[in-house]
Amino acid sequence: MTNYFSALVLTALIGGTACADDKSPATAKPVAKPAAAPAAAPASPAPASSAPAAGAVAHYVQATGSSLGFTFEQVGAQSNGAFKQFATTLDYDEKNLAASKLSVKVQIGSLDTQDKDRDSTLASADLFDVQKYATATYTAASLVKGANGVEAVGKLTIRNVTKDLRVPLTIKAAGAGLELSGTVTIKRLDYGVGQGEWKSTESVGDAVKLTYKVMLTKAAS
Amino acid sequence: MNFRNTTRAWGALSKTLHWLIVLLIITQWLIARHADDLPNGLAKLQTLAWHKSIGITVLMFAILRLVWRWANPVPSLDGLAKPWERMLASLSHVLLYALIFAMPLTGWMMSSARNFPVSWFKLFQLPDLVAPSDQTFHQMHDLHHLLFKVLMVVALLHVLGAAKHHIVDRNDVLKRMLPFVK
Repeated sequence: MTNYFSALVLTALIGGTACADDKSPATAKPVAKPAAAPAAAPASPAPASSAPAAGAVAHYVQATGSSLGFTFEQVGAQSNGAFKQFATTLDYDEKNLAASKLSVKVQIGSLDTQDKDRDSTLASADLFDVQKYATATYTAASLVKGANGVEAVGKLTIRNVTKDLRVPLTIKAAGAGLELSGTVTIKRLDYGVGQGEWKSTESVGDAVKLTYKVMLTKAAS
Repeated sequence: MNFRNTTRAWGALSKTLHWLIVLLIITQWLIARHADDLPNGLAKLQTLAWHKSIGITVLMFAILRLVWRWANPVPSLDGLAKPWERMLASLSHVLLYALIFAMPLTGWMMSSARNFPVSWFKLFQLPDLVAPSDQTFHQMHDLHHLLFKVLMVVALLHVLGAAKHHIVDRNDVLKRMLPFVK
């Protein structure tokens, strides 16, 4: 009985301190962290500097209901498709964007424009060349405040060609997790998506607009 | 030649629309045959884009023709055709009008069903008529081809009727639709 009681007290205490711990960086950070971080980062070894962030930066993984669409101009008409399989992870602390990270891995073979002939043309060697380049990746090692919300500062790799890309993100709470959404326009020829006759932009535009809505749930980091 | 129709003669606009649609339909048939021979690729995409743009043009002319027909007198066949000939002529005319609407519309639906939205000569994009669906695409594809065969048969009947008026009856029914003829 006493054991049970002390366990309860102990739990309450730990819970209480955990709560206090959760809150104190949140309230203290805007003042303390920017001053401390630059000084601490070069001096202390990596494990020490990442340790304080681990408590505040939450790890999220992709949940169902996510979509990654693309829109492109095809002989004067805006046409669309989507990648059915992709995986997103986000390390996010809205108070510490510099320590937030975004990673997306897209299975190119899952592309679907609702026309099998066009899908196989897109998968062929002159366009995505899925046989050689099965995935495209986007990795951002930090986020920054953007014009409207947040921007991921990262690199997009398609067909093994890597380019810097800032991706605008609208991040909002959705149930227990987050919803991450936005659009960004890239140029397909920057990544070599369009060899041979497809290098021409007369009938298939260079610009491709990506539209994403990713549902994220909190996961253990 | 009058711009508008009279009860005895076709006006300039009616004649122009009639012959323009004839030329465009022949062009459409040639483009479609050419596209069928092409492998999937840029050339086929471009060729079919022409087919779609011209098809939508036919639809526009069809609307204009129908409006113009309502707003104008139709030259009479009084004394120029027997009752059974008039019935056959009316039937073929109704079918031809229906077909110059149905051909572009089924083609447009084919495009929508395949998630290839239609642009009119890259100037503007048309809304999709149906949701993307393999089944709808195949139905519309078969219908588009069937309607073309019907069009060929009815157009042949139309030409034979005009030829009969000209050669057998020796009247002005054919001549009054010819361009550059009063």
